[in-house]
Amino acid sequence: MALEAYASQSSDSIHTDVLSQARLACYKARDAFYACLEKESNKKPTESAYVGLLYPAECKKTREAYVNQCRPTWVKHFDRQYCAKKRVQRLLDDNESRRGV
Amino acid sequence: MSSAISRSLRLRSIYSSITAQWRLNNLSFHGLPENSRHFPSDFCIDDRYRKTPAFAAINFKFLCTTATGNATNQSNTNATATGTSASGWSEGDSGNSNDGKSSGGPHGKPVRSGPVSWMSFFLLFCTGAGLVYYYDREKKRHIEGIDSASNAVKQGPSVGKAAIGGPFNLIDHNGKAVTDNNFVGKWNMIYFGFTHCPDICPDELQKLAAAIDRIKEKSGMEVVPVFISVDPERDTVEQVREYVKEFHPKLIGLTGSPDEIKKAARAYRVYYMKTEEEGSDYLVDHSIVMYLMDPNMQFVKFFGKNVDADSLADGVIQEIKQHKMVKA
Repeated sequence: MALEAYASQSSDSIHTDVLSQARLACYKARDAFYACLEKESNKKPTESAYVGLLYPAECKKTREAYVNQCRPTWVKHFDRQYCAKKRVQRLLDDNESRRGV
Repeated sequence: MSSAISRSLRLRSIYSSITAQWRLNNLSFHGLPENSRHFPSDFCIDDRYRKTPAFAAINFKFLCTTATGNATNQSNTNATATGTSASGWSEGDSGNSNDGKSSGGPHGKPVRSGPVSWMSFFLLFCTGAGLVYYYDREKKRHIEGIDSASNAVKQGPSVGKAAIGGPFNLIDHNGKAVTDNNFVGKWNMIYFGFTHCPDICPDELQKLAAAIDRIKEKSGMEVVPVFISVDPERDTVEQVREYVKEFHPKLIGLTGSPDEIKKAARAYRVYYMKTEEEGSDYLVDHSIVMYLMDPNMQFVKFFGKNVDADSLADGVIQEIKQHKMVKA
């Protein structure tokens, strides 16, 4: 029945890259990359990552480490999250500067 | 002097009678002369006075007390209906002590003071105080009623529960087929997610594990955490086993055929949808919620993404205590 079907499927490899060790490594690489972005935020973004995120060439190395460590869907997911966060921050900051205009 | 007084009295009574008559009845000014005829005509009647019998009597009273004092009693007995208005007219009249005296009393007895007396003040005060006291008591009773009613509602589980929960037929992470009956007898916390989740499910499961431990050390109650996968195609039994092992030893992972998962998700009103990515990988968009189920597998409370581990533990302990109180 269903039990046998699942038993046969178990011969496929378990996706270990979603287990905790791999996850933690991915988070670390991700944080390193985003920290680099924050640090080099004054440089001109030339490289393009996923979903329209741009980053300067200085962060290329961290980007590569990041992409290697994490699954591509996860990279996209985190990039999207980062862009949304940035957008909200921009919105909040902009309101300050536009006051009185 | 008496002529001047009588003239002023007359004028005043003329004015009053005219206005009163106009207010009280719609008869024309000229339509009443007959009524006034049955009064004794040898008293000072003036055919300028077209008035009702009652007012005629009052006017007689005013006119005649200046002239003859002994007509007072008779005219006063006729003036039954207009005691108060007559007393109004006598205000400010300092000229004649008789008039001041003969205002009002329906039985013809002279009342010594005006309408506002110490007695009336006292009665008014008593009435006011009585009303205030009565309404105050009523309000207190009403508030008590509301309090007790709200307490009753909180404790009664039969006052409408959400229709969440239902039978399911899944496979746990050891490969054993389980249904919801296997979870009867202990409190359960059910979380729906999938193993390939980037950050949310790991965080939530970690929070759940921490809360379970905190509940155990705070109150000694056993709550069983359950993880149900909404991605049955990728989440095999082994996958789920490896996954839940890392969070908590008591965490039970459930998976099954896509149909059974769909039925279970529908029973628990959980939304889930595959977001198609290119390649073979995809993420599953799903509602992030934990359900607290009582030992009969009845739904008690849900907790969202915003509660942290401590609030979660406290919330669960509170619900269990309340449930025990109700059952007892």
